[in-house]
Order: sequence, then C-alpha cells, then structure tokens
Amino acid sequence: MAEDQTGPATASELPPDTIAAVDGAGPSRHVPAEPPRPSVGLPLRQQLKHQPAAPQARVHDITEKFTKASSALNVGQLVKDEFFTLFESIGALEIMDPKMDSGFLQPGEALEDACDTVAPLLPEELIGILDQLLCYEMAWHTGYPLSQTLFTSVYIDRLLWPEPRTLEQAQFYRGPIPDERRPGLMLEVLRSYCLALVKCCDFVIAKITGRDYFEEEDFCTHTYSRVLFTQMPMDVFQRELDAAIERLQDGTEMEIDPTVRDAIIARLNFRKDFLSALDLECSLDFIDRYWPPVIANLDPINTTHQLGKAVPGAFSFKIQRRLASTVPPRPTVELDFSDAFSKLKQLCTDGEEAVRVMSLDPDPLEYQSFLWAFASRKPTPLPYSRSYLCTLLFQESSVSIPLSDLKSLVFPCSTILDPSNWALSPPRNPMMPKPHRLRLAHLIDEFVERAGQAYLDFWTALGQNRCRLRRMLNHVIIGWDQLQHDAGFVDDDLMRVVGEMGIQDQVIPFPLTTWTYHKKLWMIEKIVLLGFEQDIYLPDEYAGMYLFLSSVSRRRNALLQTVLDHFHDRRSALLHSDAHADAQEVQDGAQYITSLLHEASGIRDLSLALSGFYTTLLYLRLIPRPTRPFSTPQLRDELRMKPFLTLTPQEMFPFPDLQAQILPYGAYDAPDSRLWEDLRGEEYWRDIEGHIKGAKEAFAQVKKLGAKAARAGGVEGAWGKEVQGVLASCVALGVEVAGVRRAVGWGEGGEGEVRTKVKVEIPGEGGRYSGGWVVGRVGRL
Amino acid sequence: MSGANNSTDPAADELQYVQYEAAKEETYLPAIRQLISKDLSEPYSIYVYRYFLYQWGDLCYMALDPTNSSLIGVVVSKLEPHRSGTFRGYIAMLAVQESHRGRGIATKLVCMAIDAMAARDADEIVLETEVTNTASLKLYERLGFLRSKKLHRYYLNGNTAFRLVLYLKEGTALKRPDAEMGPVGDYQGLGMPQTQESV
Repeated sequence: MAEDQTGPATASELPPDTIAAVDGAGPSRHVPAEPPRPSVGLPLRQQLKHQPAAPQARVHDITEKFTKASSALNVGQLVKDEFFTLFESIGALEIMDPKMDSGFLQPGEALEDACDTVAPLLPEELIGILDQLLCYEMAWHTGYPLSQTLFTSVYIDRLLWPEPRTLEQAQFYRGPIPDERRPGLMLEVLRSYCLALVKCCDFVIAKITGRDYFEEEDFCTHTYSRVLFTQMPMDVFQRELDAAIERLQDGTEMEIDPTVRDAIIARLNFRKDFLSALDLECSLDFIDRYWPPVIANLDPINTTHQLGKAVPGAFSFKIQRRLASTVPPRPTVELDFSDAFSKLKQLCTDGEEAVRVMSLDPDPLEYQSFLWAFASRKPTPLPYSRSYLCTLLFQESSVSIPLSDLKSLVFPCSTILDPSNWALSPPRNPMMPKPHRLRLAHLIDEFVERAGQAYLDFWTALGQNRCRLRRMLNHVIIGWDQLQHDAGFVDDDLMRVVGEMGIQDQVIPFPLTTWTYHKKLWMIEKIVLLGFEQDIYLPDEYAGMYLFLSSVSRRRNALLQTVLDHFHDRRSALLHSDAHADAQEVQDGAQYITSLLHEASGIRDLSLALSGFYTTLLYLRLIPRPTRPFSTPQLRDELRMKPFLTLTPQEMFPFPDLQAQILPYGAYDAPDSRLWEDLRGEEYWRDIEGHIKGAKEAFAQVKKLGAKAARAGGVEGAWGKEVQGVLASCVALGVEVAGVRRAVGWGEGGEGEVRTKVKVEIPGEGGRYSGGWVVGRVGRL
Repeated sequence: MSGANNSTDPAADELQYVQYEAAKEETYLPAIRQLISKDLSEPYSIYVYRYFLYQWGDLCYMALDPTNSSLIGVVVSKLEPHRSGTFRGYIAMLAVQESHRGRGIATKLVCMAIDAMAARDADEIVLETEVTNTASLKLYERLGFLRSKKLHRYYLNGNTAFRLVLYLKEGTALKRPDAEMGPVGDYQGLGMPQTQESV
C-alpha cells in the first residue's frame, strides 16, 4: 500500500507551498536534511557553528490532494528532475517499511528503550560500560559512524541532548532532581569519563577535517547535530577526571575492592593522557612526551577487562531514530574487546611513531621516506594517525621543500643555488640588466613556487590509505607532467644565464626537467607496484605490466646515470680547483644518486625477469587466460594505460611493440616452432637468469649503501625490511624459474605435457616477500 | 560479440530470458525486490528500483522459469553520459536464485545487458564488486572486465570493492568531459552498496 501511494508522486507535481509547509525543506521530498558527505576542506566544526534554526513547522493535511495527483500517474512512473540522481534514490526512504521507516513501531513496541541513567551502578558494571565504550570508540576510528557506535550509549546521549549550554548542565538527568536520586560515585566517575571521551572525539574529528584533504570513506565525521563540547577547553575535562580519581582514591564514599578500584583508576588515567595526546594545541616542544604515558596505561586496562560486568541496557540501537540523519537506523557495530584493544594499541604506537618525524633531518627526501614507510606499516595506520602525522609534517615545513630536493638531485654545490644569489639587489636603474646571479635566484624562485602545489599533492597522496594512494598518484603524475613541461621553459632561461656567465660545464643540462621527470617516473613505478600489491592486475596481465615497469625504470636509470656523471664531473672540477670541502660535499651527495641508480636498475632487471617468467608461463599455458568475448587486447591495453596516455614523453609502448614483446612466438595457444627449440636451449634461460642476477646485485648494492644514502635514515628498520623483501623476491624468482626450466626438460612433449606435471600458484599479498613483486610458485602435480 | 551467450549448460538455456517491461511492474517488481534484497543487510527503497527500471527498463533482463514464470535471475543496469566524458554503462544489480546458481544464468543475463548497451553505443561498462566475491569477479573477468581500482571501505558494511571496467570502444580512455561538468571522483555518482552479491 505504501508503495502505491508514495511511489509515483514527487513534489514537483504538487503545489509547492503545500509540501514546503509540511517538511519546511522546500519543494522536494528528497532533499536531505544535511549533506551526507560534508565537502572536503570545510571542517564540520564550522558548519555546526552556522547551523540555522529549524523553521517552525505548520501541519497541513495533503492526503486528498496527494491521492488525486498520484492517481494521474501510472504505477512505476517516476517523475523527477535532472538533479534526482542515483544517490538521491538510494537516500529515499519508504514510509511504513519497518526496516527503513525509523518511526515505524511493531505492535506494542516503545519508541525508546527504557533506561534509568541515574540508577546506581556497581563498580564492576562501571568497568563493563567503560570497556564497551572503548570498543565503540575504536569501531568509530576504523570508519563506522558515531550513530552505530558511541552514540548508542544512553549515557552519552543524555550528556549531549538536549544540548547543554555549560558543562555543568551535561548530566545524566536534566532539570531538578531529588537528593536521594542524585548520581552516586560510580555514575559521577562514568560521567567524567564520558565527557572526556566525547571531547576526544571532538579532537579527532577536528584533526582529520583540519587537513586539506581527508576521506569520508574511511572515517565518518558526521555528528548528527550533536555538539561534541567543541567550545570547551581541554583542562575542564582533565579536572573532572582528576576529581573522579581523587574521590576514588579517597575511598570514604564507597567500599570498593582495591583491584576493581585500581582498574577504574587506570581507565581514568588512560583517558586523561589520551585526551592530552589528542589535544589540538599540544606543545610541539614536548611532543615526544604525550604518547608514552598513554601506552603505559594500556596493559592495566587489558589485564583487568575480565573484572567488568556487561550492562547491555547502557546501549540502545533505537537512539539512532532521534539522530538527524538521512539514512535509516543501521545495526550497531560490535567490535570484540580484544580487537578494539589491539586497534587502540596500534593507534597509540602509530602516534608515537609519527612523532619521530619531528626528529628527522630537515630533508624532504627523509620526510618522503618516512611518509612512505608510515603508509606501509602493517596493520595499516588508522585515518587519525595519518592525519596526525601529516599535521606534524606540514606545520614543520619551514625549509623550502622543493628547493632542498632539487639540490640533492641536480644541483650539487652549485652556483645556481648559492644563497648569496638571493642577497643581491636589483640595479637602481631598471634599464640596467640585472646581475646574473640575481636572475638565477629569480628563475629558481619562480620554479619552486610553481612546483609547490605539485609537491604538496604528492605528499598528500602519500598520506592516504593505500588504495587511495594509488588512485591519487594517477592524478598527481598529470600535475607533474605539466610541471615538467613548464620546467623546460625555465631550464631554457636558466641555461641562457648560465651560458652568459660562462659556467655551462658546472650545470647539468636541463636540471629542472631532469628533477621533475625523475620524480614523475618514480611515481609511475610506484603506481604499477601498488597495482600488483592490490591485485589490480590479473595473472595474464603480469607479463605486460612488468614489462611496462621495466621500461619506466630503464628511463629513470638512464636519467640517473647522467646525473651521476655530472656529480663526478663536478667533483673532479672542484678537486682541480682545490675546493676540497666542496668536492667532499659533492662526493657525499653522490651516495644518494648511486643508491637511486642501483634501485632503478634493480627494478628494471627484476621486472624484466618477471615479465620473461610470466611470458614463459603463458606459452606453457600455466596461467589462466579468460576467454573475454567482449574485449580485445588493444582495448584492455588502452584501459590499463589510461593514466599514462597523455604523458610526455610517451612512456607506454605503442600497442604493436607491446604485442611483439609479450608474444615473441606468436599466439600463446599456437606458438611457432622456435618456442620449443628456444625453451630447450641455453640462451632463453640465460636471459632471464641474467636479469635476476642483475637485480640481485643491484639491490645488494642498495642495501650495502644503506638507509642513510637512500635518505631513509629515519626509518632504517622499515627501509631495510623493504629492501630485504625485494632481495628475497629475487631469490624466490630464481628458484621458480629453475623449476619451470626443469619441467620443460622432463619430456619430449609440448606444453600439454608440462601442464600434466606442474602447476603455478599466484600467492596472495600475505604470501609474498614484497607486495609489489609477485612471484608465482611452481609446484609439481 | 555474443559468443558468450552460447552457453552449453542446458539449465541456463531452458529458462526464458525476457526484457523488463514497465507495464508489468506489478508482476515483476516484487519478485525482483525479493531476489535482490535476500543478500542485502539493508534493503533498497522502491525508488532505487524505479530509478533504474523506469529509465532503463530495456537494460534489465530477467530469467524466468518457463513452467510457472517465476523469477530465477535478474540484471539491472543503466547507461548515460558520465562526467568523465564517456557514454557509460553501469551494472547495478545482479542476482540469481540460490538453487539455480553455478549454471551460467548470471553470465547469460550479463551478456544480454552488455549486448544491449553495446548496441546502444556505450563506450564502456563499469561496476563494483566486493574484493572477496570470487564468483562475481570470475564471472565478469571471464567476459573481459579488468579491475581498475580498489575502493577502500566502499560498502556500508566496511568492505572493500574493486571497480571493474570493460571498454567497448577504442579511444574511450581519451574522452574528456564537457567543460561545465565537475571533476571526476571515485565515490560519486555510483555507490550502490552490495549489489553483486548473489551470482
């Protein structure tokens, strides 16, 4: 019945004023009360402050008009304007549907669960409630909305609604209360904890929304018109907790088992320290002192969890019905205490780790390594932790980030970046030419300013969840591609000035282009490796994608070779002119270039070896190839190369070239006869094995040069593990290639015979030494 | 292009495959809703179904039991210009009765939808499916779809999705939006929760 009546009609068919009077929201039934996703960059806190008061509702009966209007339509007919999208249709609710209509009550059902929030609690029940609150808090941190987690607490609901004007008003009751009903000690303790917990949520939301870019997809900032004590300073919450701890320690009000009392105090202490650590204004000078006390408080909570007694009535699914939301109530999210506790522990240790960014050498490359290592931590850091790190990092950037990066890659001890260039004044007479060095300074300033946004985008991407990191890099490289184009013009000007100064041989040709291009190629490599890590590619695409990766890293390798040659030239020249200190500086700087060079050649060789390995497996038909009746190799190649199609220079292989390389013997199911000749020969395998050997040697060099040379000194442990993982992948590939080779040699038959003897398994991410390097396992049948 | 329709499974061929008709909403829609919502934790409102069926009923195909015309399987899709500049098909829902799964019925329904969209000049077809839904991934990947993106916590239940894409025409990747259209987001416009469940 409900369907027939509400279905075909929309507001536009009815006199607009009728509807407007009913819901006060203007002439559309589907306008959500609040935008479901607050726009990026507008912190929710600001939105809350400007919330207009709800217009006074007037009630008009429109049943008759509505029925008459809808009778003019066919069943199923949808009347909508162009702004009614799928999104709106999903947001629409059906009145009188028990699952969607939050006002729909089953016969005899009450709108709210009855809960006496001033009824006395046992100390054990208090522990039970506190631990359950912690579970919901962590569920919220992992991405579920407050409505399905903390806002199911009847106590928090009482504190926040109706909105209290002062902290004093935020009680488990409102208005006057007889003395004998006044909350006792346990409830007062619970209140102090809940107040601080809510303030923690306020800090968390503010930190996450304070970033220029954050993701609603993995963290939900919605507060359903509840104000989380946004305007109240932190110390009042600390005082409430202190008072509660004091009353517990005093011990005269209530007899409590000392173990239980200590367990409660541990929870209050934790909350107090946690609140300090989350404080938006915590002092940067003492930033390393916030997390250790929080972490020290964790174990006492975990070990006393079993003292608690669950109080199911302290939480109600039905509270959602009263929250301002466009979606129907959803099930409460239940996270086990052990899972919640490990999330909490992770949050704290990630916070402690993030703080280390403040002690790094002020070097953008060290920051970059730190960001990368942080994003690679397992389990993956929670959204709050990522925002926390980025907030620290971005407020610390007093050094010119791009400038310092440029110096490391292309301007070793260079006149171009000599600080004295910036000290020169322009000539008084504007008709006179500017000094050369001043022109250099201006050109560099121009470029650095231009590069700022691209650099920021790059770092922002590094601060995202791993899936989004990959997707964002696809866009970031487009920005860097444009930057590279612009760099070409600045390079021309730069080289002209350098030519006039007669110091061409001190400067690498096209320095800014080189720097930009290098960064872009590095990102393309990461995009492909992340694609493997996230199982974006299907096994029969591996040969082509690793081939593409090898081609990108080959270019980066060649670029780096030119850079290294320049470093060597500079050093020789400086030694020649007895500038020994400068020569040493250049030599030290060359370590970084050397490390990069080996890394690039390692990636090139390993991906080439993997491409050969998977091509072989395709010919042996050990890798499944879907039939794909609706697709062609060319269309799939276009889809795969979409992020790179517009780049200059062109990075992708023209389609025929790609085909020639991954199909060297013709079609996989009908190879020409040379295949078996080659497979049974030496040379075929020598190539693949040669690449593996090359990769192994290259990564061994990277390892030997060390984390400092790679500008990852701040994350030596994580960096070392990553390099070790790639080395282990090289070794594993060697073993698997040998396995295939053996299988080929076993009989005289073709691929059919090989397939009866061996099979190939593609390990999932957990079964790899390194997420981006997928080494198929060859096993005997 | 219809090679995949030649299923050898007799069970898939014995069924009756028909295009949805708006005039028969009262006959078909309750069954479609029931079939789709069986695997959903939260039901779609009738507007979601009507949003698709009223505008793109001809891209909805049903598999019916010829003996009693009961609904065995259904695919629901749309096709419209996308902000990226392409004419984009979207497979929103696909479901087959549990007792009839594994017989190629879903594949056949999807093939019919793809054929219909290709005939109407679609550049590409996209959809999302949970990363753990192996059956669904296999089905689409056999037909030619590739994974283009992984979407962290895409669904309301917190699960992660793959975006799958099938290009039907060359040059699709280079199509650009009209100037007045906004930027292309990963999560906007689409966002069907849990729709590729039951195949």
